[in-house]
Amino acid sequence: MKEIERLKDISKGRDDLEQLLNNTLDIIKACEDLESVTKARISILGKKGTVAGIFKKIPEFPYKDRPLLGEFGNLLKKVAEQELDSKEKQIRAAIREKKLAGLAIDVTLPGRGKPLGRRHILNMTIREIVSIFLSLGYRVIHGPEVELDYYNFEALNTPTYHPARSLQDTFYFKRDDPVKDSRDDVLLRTHTSPVQVRVMESTKPPLYVISPGKAYRRDEIDATHSAVFHQVEGFAVDRGITMGDLKGTLEVFAKKLFGEEKSVRFRPHFFPFTEPSAEVDVSCFACDTAGCSLCKGVGWLEIMGCGMIDPNVFSYVGYDPEEYQGFAFGMGVERIAMMKHGIDDMRLFYENDVRFLRQFHV
Amino acid sequence: MKVSIEWLRDYVNFDLEPKKIAEILSMSGTSVERIIEQNVGVSGVVVARVVHLFPHPNTSNLKVAKVDDGERLREIVCGAPNLREGMLTALALPGARIQGFGSPIECASIRGVKSDGMLLSPSELGLSEDASTIAEIAGKVSPGERIENVVPFKDAILELEITPNRPDCMAIVGIAREISALLDVDLKMPVATFEETGPDINNLIAIEIQDKQGCPRYTARAVTDVRILPSPLWMQRRISACGLRPINNVVDITNYILLELGQPLHAFDLQLISGRKIIVRKARYGETITTLDGIERQLDSQTLLIADIEKPIAMAGVMGGENTEVTAATRNVVIESAHFDATSIFLTSKRLGIRTEASSRFERGTDPEGTAYAARRAASLMKQLAQGDIAKGEIDIYSRPWQEREIKLRGKKISVVLGIDIPAEKTRRVLERLGARVEGNDDLMVAAPSYRGDLEREIDLIEEIARIYGYDKIEDTLPPGGGIASGITRTQILTETLLDTLVAQGLTEVITYSFMRVSDLDIMRVPPEHVLRRIPVLLNPLSEAGEAVRTTLLPGILRVAQINQSRGIRSLALFEKGRVFYLDGESSVINEKDSLCIFLSGNVAPPSWIEEDRQCDFFDMKGLIENSFEFIGVRDLRFEKGSFPWLLEGRSASVLVGSREIGYAGQILPEIGESFDLDGEIYVAEMLIDWLADMPGETVQYRDVGRFPGVKLDIAILIDKSIEAGRVLSAILDSGAKHLRNVRLFDVYEGERIPEGKKSLAFSLEFASVRRTLTEDEAFLEVKKIIRVLQEKFGAVLRGKTPGAGENL
Repeated sequence: MKEIERLKDISKGRDDLEQLLNNTLDIIKACEDLESVTKARISILGKKGTVAGIFKKIPEFPYKDRPLLGEFGNLLKKVAEQELDSKEKQIRAAIREKKLAGLAIDVTLPGRGKPLGRRHILNMTIREIVSIFLSLGYRVIHGPEVELDYYNFEALNTPTYHPARSLQDTFYFKRDDPVKDSRDDVLLRTHTSPVQVRVMESTKPPLYVISPGKAYRRDEIDATHSAVFHQVEGFAVDRGITMGDLKGTLEVFAKKLFGEEKSVRFRPHFFPFTEPSAEVDVSCFACDTAGCSLCKGVGWLEIMGCGMIDPNVFSYVGYDPEEYQGFAFGMGVERIAMMKHGIDDMRLFYENDVRFLRQFHV
Repeated sequence: MKVSIEWLRDYVNFDLEPKKIAEILSMSGTSVERIIEQNVGVSGVVVARVVHLFPHPNTSNLKVAKVDDGERLREIVCGAPNLREGMLTALALPGARIQGFGSPIECASIRGVKSDGMLLSPSELGLSEDASTIAEIAGKVSPGERIENVVPFKDAILELEITPNRPDCMAIVGIAREISALLDVDLKMPVATFEETGPDINNLIAIEIQDKQGCPRYTARAVTDVRILPSPLWMQRRISACGLRPINNVVDITNYILLELGQPLHAFDLQLISGRKIIVRKARYGETITTLDGIERQLDSQTLLIADIEKPIAMAGVMGGENTEVTAATRNVVIESAHFDATSIFLTSKRLGIRTEASSRFERGTDPEGTAYAARRAASLMKQLAQGDIAKGEIDIYSRPWQEREIKLRGKKISVVLGIDIPAEKTRRVLERLGARVEGNDDLMVAAPSYRGDLEREIDLIEEIARIYGYDKIEDTLPPGGGIASGITRTQILTETLLDTLVAQGLTEVITYSFMRVSDLDIMRVPPEHVLRRIPVLLNPLSEAGEAVRTTLLPGILRVAQINQSRGIRSLALFEKGRVFYLDGESSVINEKDSLCIFLSGNVAPPSWIEEDRQCDFFDMKGLIENSFEFIGVRDLRFEKGSFPWLLEGRSASVLVGSREIGYAGQILPEIGESFDLDGEIYVAEMLIDWLADMPGETVQYRDVGRFPGVKLDIAILIDKSIEAGRVLSAILDSGAKHLRNVRLFDVYEGERIPEGKKSLAFSLEFASVRRTLTEDEAFLEVKKIIRVLQEKFGAVLRGKTPGAGENL
């Protein structure tokens, strides 16, 4: 600061001026609050203050000293003003800081309000599966859970004496009127596949449909069986649909659901309503095809059944199998959720312990 | 089904590890569930002949056998009942090592006689479970031969899952044929040639088929003067490896051929057949038979029976009878090799609850052309292994001969279905390897073999080609997709969003079984004629708890709450969306609709460091229903005082949308809660949501919310306690007051300074115009209108001053 250097220069060798300068600076320095700043301001710059005192005394000095004294007074005024302003600013900043510090809270305390709920893990799984097919251009259609024998079995090319049709595996309803034709028997659907027939019966191709829902089998309930379970059915009927399309579609699906690094394979199998038929395996989550206890040494986990829709099914719904071809697939939602999340007991899904349900998230 | 790889190699040549062959089979549709490696470690065991037998000097339970081990005679102590002079058996020499024995076999003194080695049982050799006899070795073998040259100990057993369309694969030869097609190598069929040295079969037995529908073919052969012995070790080993129990040579031969060819056979003791006549007929009401498993079975008129002139002797295709069983005393044998109707055997097996190796093959359809061959093969083995004389000729009643079917296979269709081109030569070769007769070049005429009843149509052949050629060779492609028709419907969006808003308000979704006990409705005090009583009842429930499908979601959600309460979780906010089912009026049609059930109990939020605990109440329930429905654009949602038998009178409401009653909400009767082992105040609601499908699909049209500040005025009125607040609110909205933008009820008060039988309601009214700033005076005029209406309708008295002016009304 040039001014301060000059003031020191002027007061050099003159005790009275030197003392005046030092006193003034000391007073400012000693200020601790706004009140003392105001006081200091008055005592230095006020009408009866230090600076005024200097100018008042100038006439008492010889001419030659007067300009220097005038300069001293002006500089002191300027310096004092600057110092006081800066001091005041400092004090104000300190006050503000102190005030804000008092507002501090413990941000690690728990947040307010009630926690959100959860969708059931089975429905979250269904939503994930369905959304993949929506992105491939499918639509969602739901079907009835109470079905006629015709839709559940016959129109799906399942012969009258197929083991699946027996009382042991299917829930039938009591009826007052005796049913002459077994096709009119009313039952709880044993799979979601009847939706295929219902949709094809009422709609012309092209069809790209995904249909999630409940299905029922007369299984005693244990860790791996449930009388009520969920399936997702899907099918596509169009001109020129090939088995390559089926493979490509399910490969995309399986990789999206289980991870792109997974391998997918198609194993020939048998279903009454598809021909050729296949089971789809995905490489084991734990061992990646090496074989382990999760996959029982096979290296692969079965995730779904599929195939090209049998021409007999088309003939039930009045499609010309020479004009249209299609594929269909179906998967068990519980099984997929169990594989994905390492759940080892199917009953957990239906027990609904909220601590179980709340573990899962989107 | 279990298949021995060592056995498979009799019919097809391959040099692949068990794991590799299992993978090839799995990837062609014959799923291998498990590979069981067998490797019984034996060394130092040789074939020995029993030369002399004499009693043990110190015990009657044991004998001392002098045996020839090929070099010298040894004395061995042994107690097996089948020990006899002249037999060949397995001898463990001193120092021999046998798996399962901790240390090598040593010379030991048994009850004072030194045994110079040990004779081994089939069990000790790892051949079968039989530990009570010593192994009997048949065939052209000399003493001193190492046992591993006589019986193969190293093998791998494949456990296969055979799909119901492939009965031909329930046979070793069938699997060998698959391998022959997959590896493109030749299949060698087992031989069945012999000389007929016995009497004419027609002099021994006659066959009569009365039920030609049930038995389209019956082939019989007879073998006389058989010697019933244990079957040779190799046969015992193969049968055991495939999961059957060796019995004696004749019975084992029938089982061996069942496993080998998939044709079930039965052997009768000829002497025990009355009248020397076999009759195939339906059982008569009241007839019984004791089957080989010792169980006496009641027969009905649908059961196909094998009988003689007096009695039933076998349940056709399922199990033989004890009365004609082949035993140690049997001399002459009749071999039955028949083709039975698959459905008939399936139904019998289901009805009686018996499933056997035979029935599981017949019910899927055996090879109608294969019976005579199987009978010949059995006869030849009985001659070879039981020293029998094969009777001259066979009886073969084939009333409905199999017809070869020609199927047209277009080369183009193969690529249209699979999406790839397969060389015509490859197609032809695959089909031929599978046993089909093929003619033509690009378009083929294919005659499927008699053992492949599943090959009827072009598509069936295409599947065969694809699975043998390999699904992995089909290139992955993607179809175009549904275009404009794809996506989810408005109703699906509304439903999912509705459920998501419940989740956003803290509710957790549950899923329960769709079943119900009828008595749950009694607990809920549902009256007899109530709609919830139109219950569809199941014909064959698993248990009483699942005797019907549910007409309401409430019992299910109460049980979920009970499970959680019993685990110490008392504050619960749950919902379930699921189908309910009910019989439609007079008809027996079962309707199903989507229903939504909500359950609240305990505190609204977990205990907090910052907020007071609060118990949930009716208005939590009402608020969250209102929020969720408002969010998806449902208008005219109303709650009216309602009465439901399972709810507390005075704390229950009907839920309406417009004039449609969609369900209820309220506090459950404490006694009903207790019946479900629940305590505390419980609020429930259940609403049908099927009507979401009928909601008009309106697009919201923008409304100017106004930039000009409104005027807010509060009024409090005194009215009869019995007047519902909802009616007052509606009256204010319908009062015709202009510029009324918003009405909010902010206080309800009864008690001090309020006259008995009265209550005070306080409303905050907001008036505003979209065009200009409203003056207070304009608002006061409208408030006066409202107050007048409330006076007229409800006899309301204004509390305190009129807002603004202060003039009297």
